[in-house]
Amino acid sequence: MLQGALAGLAAGGLYAVLAVCLTLMSRLVRVVNFAQSATGMFGCYVAVFLSVDLGLPVWLATVAGIVLGGLLSALLGWIVSTWLAEADTGTRSAVTVAVLLLLISLSFILFGNKPQPFHPILDGPAVTVGGVVISQVTVVTVALAVLVAVASRIVLSRTPAGVQLRALSERPTTAELLGIPARRLSVAVWAVTGVVSTLVISIVAPSQSNDATSLAMLVVPAAAAALLGGFRRLDLAVAGGLGLGLIQGAAAQVDGLSVVRYFLPFAVIVALLLWSQRKEVWDAAR
Amino acid sequence: MRLAERGIPFVVAIVAIAVGYGLSVGLDGYFVYLGMSAVVAGISLLGLGVVTGSAGMISLCQLTFGAVGAWTVSALNEAQAPGGFLTWLALGGLAAGAVGVLVGLPALRLRGINLAVVTLGLAAAADLALVQLQFPGVSAGISVERPEAFSDDRSYFQLAVVVLVLCCLVVYFLRRGRWGSAWQAVAFSERGTAAAGTSVRTSKLTAFAVSATLGGISGGLLTGQVGIAFPASFTAIQSLALYVLAIMSGAHLIDMAVFGAILWVGVPELLKRWGIPQDWGFVVFGVLGVQALASGGNLGTTVRQVWYRRSKKEPAKLDLAAGAGDVEPVSPGPPVLTVRDLSVNFGHVAALSSVDISVPEHGVLGVIGPNGAGKSTLVDAISGFLPNAEGAVELGGRPLTGSPSNRARAGLRRTFQQDRVPPGLTVGAYLKFLARRRLTADEIGDALDFFGCPAARTPLSQVDVGARRLVEVVGHLLVRPRVLLLDEPAAGLPHEEHVAFGERLRQVPARFGVSVLLIEHDLDLVRSVCDTITVLDFGRVLASGPQAEVLADPAVLKAYMGETEML
Repeated sequence: MLQGALAGLAAGGLYAVLAVCLTLMSRLVRVVNFAQSATGMFGCYVAVFLSVDLGLPVWLATVAGIVLGGLLSALLGWIVSTWLAEADTGTRSAVTVAVLLLLISLSFILFGNKPQPFHPILDGPAVTVGGVVISQVTVVTVALAVLVAVASRIVLSRTPAGVQLRALSERPTTAELLGIPARRLSVAVWAVTGVVSTLVISIVAPSQSNDATSLAMLVVPAAAAALLGGFRRLDLAVAGGLGLGLIQGAAAQVDGLSVVRYFLPFAVIVALLLWSQRKEVWDAAR
Repeated sequence: MRLAERGIPFVVAIVAIAVGYGLSVGLDGYFVYLGMSAVVAGISLLGLGVVTGSAGMISLCQLTFGAVGAWTVSALNEAQAPGGFLTWLALGGLAAGAVGVLVGLPALRLRGINLAVVTLGLAAAADLALVQLQFPGVSAGISVERPEAFSDDRSYFQLAVVVLVLCCLVVYFLRRGRWGSAWQAVAFSERGTAAAGTSVRTSKLTAFAVSATLGGISGGLLTGQVGIAFPASFTAIQSLALYVLAIMSGAHLIDMAVFGAILWVGVPELLKRWGIPQDWGFVVFGVLGVQALASGGNLGTTVRQVWYRRSKKEPAKLDLAAGAGDVEPVSPGPPVLTVRDLSVNFGHVAALSSVDISVPEHGVLGVIGPNGAGKSTLVDAISGFLPNAEGAVELGGRPLTGSPSNRARAGLRRTFQQDRVPPGLTVGAYLKFLARRRLTADEIGDALDFFGCPAARTPLSQVDVGARRLVEVVGHLLVRPRVLLLDEPAAGLPHEEHVAFGERLRQVPARFGVSVLLIEHDLDLVRSVCDTITVLDFGRVLASGPQAEVLADPAVLKAYMGETEML
């Protein structure tokens, strides 16, 4: 049980990083990016292609993939902030649904629909505590989750760019009138989250089920985690991601839960929503 | 006239069935099979059209509902349940509808986007679970028996067409009825829906239930088509593709749902013939979906706009030139709406503090005050949109509490300062939706003429904003509530029409038996309509009483007009 839970922690760190990215996107550019993990998946697949088929060194291919993930995300951000600048969150997010579909299909076309032969970047145990093994991947993803959350927090609260971003997210029109470069900042947010998601998926993919659909659908548990913080709070998003990973890992050890396990993220989402929305809330805008 | 209108959908339905029969006889076997797939997809898209197109919610698990239908049909077939295939199909639809309600439950308080996350979560989970469990009867190789009369492909295609046509008819009438108006309203404005006395929750749930039921029927039909259901037909990625297709084609329009289904089957088929990998089909859908969202239109509306452009019309305007006629005025009675000690705080800002207001029976009370005085907050609080408001509201001697829709049903209606009139409806459909009761055509016509509004057949999207807000007023008046709160109804009208509008407002208590609380900036209008006036300033009542006294009060002059202005 404990070993299972700790094994799930690697996935938990992945969920947490993606959840932080989703939360940042939701807060800063008014989008729930359904293509968050699909972008990362695509970058990683290109990296595998570069190293396996073109014979680039693994580290160089990985870096190239991460850069591509960032560029892809930036392109998507540019499209959304150019043509859907005034649209509501729902419409902007619907675009990312279409992009999720697009990226999965494209990866099927380019790379086939089999899992890819990933080279593990990190491998082996990091520490062994009382007979329980904690892998390097786990340590790195959990650390990365905390690091990204703390870094975002510092950037948003302590730097001029962060203040501009917050202004932009709360009052886009006013911010633009003040001369804040809205589109450039939005695209930068998209690019950064693209880089971060591709990085974390590069780390975890070798040890996960890594076919295109599974990787692209990582957005579901990540969104469940982000919902814990209501798509607003970074600390709760991290906690939610790690918690969900632990629970899933522990549940994997119990035979009777085999099918139920798949519904965990969904059940968590529903339970959280029912709790957080118990009071009737009127949408301010509509 | 009305009979003809009622008959048209049935004529279309009969023609469609005839065309289906013609196709089933005329096409070769392979195309008949493809046609079946198109019909199945069409029913699914029709359901998506209800939930995303009409009700404006993102639903990414349409094929999961299909899987529920397929599961039910397979299980009943394996168990050799009585009733045969058609009964199982109906049960499959019902089972999926029940699941749809369950999925919709968390959606009640959610804005579209959280809901999208929930539905994608369900689709992904169901996907994995199905692969592990497999459909009932698959391991034993038991295939689902088609009904005896429709056992071969051609006749099964005919059956599928009949089912599709029936589904289309049901959706057509639902969309024209109370549910359909509620879906349109909830997509455009939740507050507007609640103010019409319609529960936002019920609207969302019915949309989900109808959509899921159609999904289930489609899944059941598919099982009959292929014999043994496989998880590969119900993957999450296909649900995504179906959603994007629904957005792109505008599946809330019935013809476009059918057209979308033809694309769904036709595009992969064409790609296959040209020797291109079929995954390109989804890439095409994805690109077109992004394009449709970015341009804010879809195939259906584009086609219709081209059609309408040929019969180009000016936006409908008000016509208040005619006299208002005369009615015997009624004198105001005892208070019907009393508000005592009403306070509303937003954080540390006191928007309203200890406000007392009373609206006399058959009277018109004017509420005036400078911007930021708390006038709209007052209306929000009385109508129940601010649950944290303190104080007591009584309507007709009874305490008025609960949600906005409850208060609306109890006889307190309100209009909004912003445009919250769903543009997808016609004027008449919107009035019926607001009224929550049967209205005769005469009643509607009289009320619309009285306020100079466009005819009932006009689509609201063709009505200019000022007139649209008057239609809202007319709709609430037709309900005959005890009290109607009007939040700046004349904003958006040209100034010269204010007087004409005021004349009519003056007659409202006598004509409709409704007492009115009127918030208005135009003092001429207030002066011509209101017997009593309450002045708000910084969330407090500055003065209250008969018109002449209040407007002469120096404190009011100072607050409202500045020191030197003369009224």
